[in-house]
Amino acid sequence: MSVIECRELSKAYLRKKVLNQISFTIEENKITGVIGRNGVGKTTLLKIMAGFTKETSGEIRVLEQRPFNNLYTSVNSIFVDDQMSFPPALQLQELLEAAQTFYPNWDMDFAQRLFKYFNFDPKHYHNTLSKGRTSTFNAIVGIAARCPITIFDEPTTGMDEAVRKDFYRALLKDYIDHPRTILISSHHLEEMEDLLEDVLLLKNGKVHLHIPISDLKEWAIGLQGQASSVLPWTEGKEVLYQNQIGLNATYVVIKNDLSEAELAQARLNGVKITPVHASDLCIYLTSDTKGGIDDVFINR
Amino acid sequence: MSLSTANLMETVKKQYSFKLKANIDAISSLVGIQLVAILFSLGGIGGSLSSSEGLQINFNYYSADVVLVFTMFWALVTAITITTKPYRNHDFTFVTNRLSSSLSNILFLLTGSLLGAVTANLSRYLLQLIAFLFRDQQVYSGPFDFPVFILGIVMSALYIFCVCSIGYLIGALVQVNKSFVLLVPVLIIGSIFLGESILVQLFQFYVMEPNFVFFLIKILITTALFFLASISILNRMEVRR
Repeated sequence: MSVIECRELSKAYLRKKVLNQISFTIEENKITGVIGRNGVGKTTLLKIMAGFTKETSGEIRVLEQRPFNNLYTSVNSIFVDDQMSFPPALQLQELLEAAQTFYPNWDMDFAQRLFKYFNFDPKHYHNTLSKGRTSTFNAIVGIAARCPITIFDEPTTGMDEAVRKDFYRALLKDYIDHPRTILISSHHLEEMEDLLEDVLLLKNGKVHLHIPISDLKEWAIGLQGQASSVLPWTEGKEVLYQNQIGLNATYVVIKNDLSEAELAQARLNGVKITPVHASDLCIYLTSDTKGGIDDVFINR
Repeated sequence: MSLSTANLMETVKKQYSFKLKANIDAISSLVGIQLVAILFSLGGIGGSLSSSEGLQINFNYYSADVVLVFTMFWALVTAITITTKPYRNHDFTFVTNRLSSSLSNILFLLTGSLLGAVTANLSRYLLQLIAFLFRDQQVYSGPFDFPVFILGIVMSALYIFCVCSIGYLIGALVQVNKSFVLLVPVLIIGSIFLGESILVQLFQFYVMEPNFVFFLIKILITTALFFLASISILNRMEVRR
């Protein structure tokens, strides 16, 4: 069953198109990573799903209903980011109790255990927490709410590495016990690789790729070697990334559609064939130039 | 994971009790502003009468009018405040839609209005008590009539609640377009200078109404209209952009 459906969804802020006619569906109980460069519309997309903002055109259905201003969407979803706003008059413990009254699936025992594990003081206030602590507290609320649709928009902002790892692990463990549809946007794809099932890659306001992460890991290959032996293999193919190494050697990334025979032939020619990490590939795919930041420094 | 159904009234109830706790600062500022008003009223409104026979009577009139006016001012400010972004965002952290958010706000304002009306009306007796204890004066008080006392509370609550609805509408307009921050004061002050008769007419229409039932109808309809307008404005607003 698909829980989120978008058809030619567009969103514009003051005539600037952020999302441009995107279409995709997200199946129930999948963990999807929403990946893309800064300002590509990840947050906008997630906020439309949560019913915070209105689509400009096109159609979006969350749990078969339009999410904007929809109580049904609101009770079945939670949107977690570092901007989550809590009343300053309430202590952290009281905030958890408030969340319990609102979210029907809320697990207070679980929330308290996470709360204790991350050393929160029940008598503290949300607005006195540091950046990383704020994100951690919000993440606790997001996991313990057990909403059928759980949306994390860059949940790890400010968290240190240990907490980030704990967060991903807690999320995965709780997901296994209580499967739900989870969307995470983050810039730490390499940390999330084991968590994600699908990747939704946004570029220029469009869905560039929407494939399982296992496919993404094999989606491209890197060819490294003397330029003269590497470059012929890229003819007629789209080069995702190209980088000069030293004087003659070069490294290119192309889509992995070479046959076994071709790969063997390439190896004979002295080309080193390497897999491309999913996180690197995402950077190459979403980049507008072939050489990355190095392009800025050459041919000046 | 099992899906939950949402009921508007249930959600409003939850939000209302959440807001009573979350907006406790508003209630404490009500207490504070009323204390200040009592302080201002302590002097009373003074006067003296003298006759040709050399008899002079000095009197001070102690009333809670200033407290009521201050409470109305509190109502205006509080109503505007809870339409601002942070307050709306608090709702959207949890379960809400725009209608339930506004309805629970209105319930909260109604609670504040009732509370403010009760304390403002009671403060008259506090003033008289203070005058009796600390001033070397004879204190005369009108007879205490319970129905009149209750009527006083109801009417003050309605006035305060009506002011709330005006504040809520102003707040909603400002959320749509920031230029209303300037426009609204300009309109109000402008109407004082240009058409004095408008304000006088408004005052006569609402305050000078001798028939309680008519007063009730007038003020309730006005309040309801203001709130309806605000709800329909806020219903289209995007949050957390």
